[in-house]
Amino acid sequence: MPPRKRIFSRRKVCRFCTDQDIVMDYRDAKTLKMFITERGKIIPRRIYGTCAKHQRQLTEAVKRARHLALIPYSGPSHG
Amino acid sequence: MRRYETTYIIRPNIGEEQFTEVIERTNDIINNDNGAIINLDRWGMKKLAYEIKKEVQGYYVHVDYATQSTNVDEMERIFRIDDRILRYLTIKTAKDIDQETIESEKERIIELANAPTAEEAEAEAEDNNENTDNSDEVATEEVANDEE
Repeated sequence: MPPRKRIFSRRKVCRFCTDQDIVMDYRDAKTLKMFITERGKIIPRRIYGTCAKHQRQLTEAVKRARHLALIPYSGPSHG
Repeated sequence: MRRYETTYIIRPNIGEEQFTEVIERTNDIINNDNGAIINLDRWGMKKLAYEIKKEVQGYYVHVDYATQSTNVDEMERIFRIDDRILRYLTIKTAKDIDQETIESEKERIIELANAPTAEEAEAEAEDNNENTDNSDEVATEEVANDEE
């Protein structure tokens, strides 16, 4: 048995729990853009460490904003 | 009555009059059966993140209101038929809303709209303070000059 590789991981804290000021709103495309990749994907929980509750709210907001063409479904602009 | 908010996108190149017509017709539907509009916000022309019906821009309108669910159905039915509407999104924000809450919400929104002016007033007050500071300095300088 090889020795178990030690994984260093800093305990991630949900950004939305620590900073109550950020309110997820589908109308606020600028804020939502912080939580999607360049390609327009929602940044997963395992990267950002958001808690389940806030990730759910975020997903909902992003999907609404996409529907209203405030943020793209894929890519910064279609191409 | 329930509280909803709807955002819809109107085709951009139809002119200001048509925008107003679409908005007014929508508001009429909402106002049926004691419905009430809490806040109407025209975001105006915005670039779309992707093309919708070959359009790259859209005229966004956001409306916050309280009405019966049948009115919402009717409004969405019209939206689907109307070629001038590119997209719409309706969200229920409260299950129940009474007349009092509607009024208080309206007032709150008006206050919010006036809030920036209050900030401006503060900024102006600060400016004035600075000005008075400067004049004080000038005064002291003058005194110093007199002593010389």
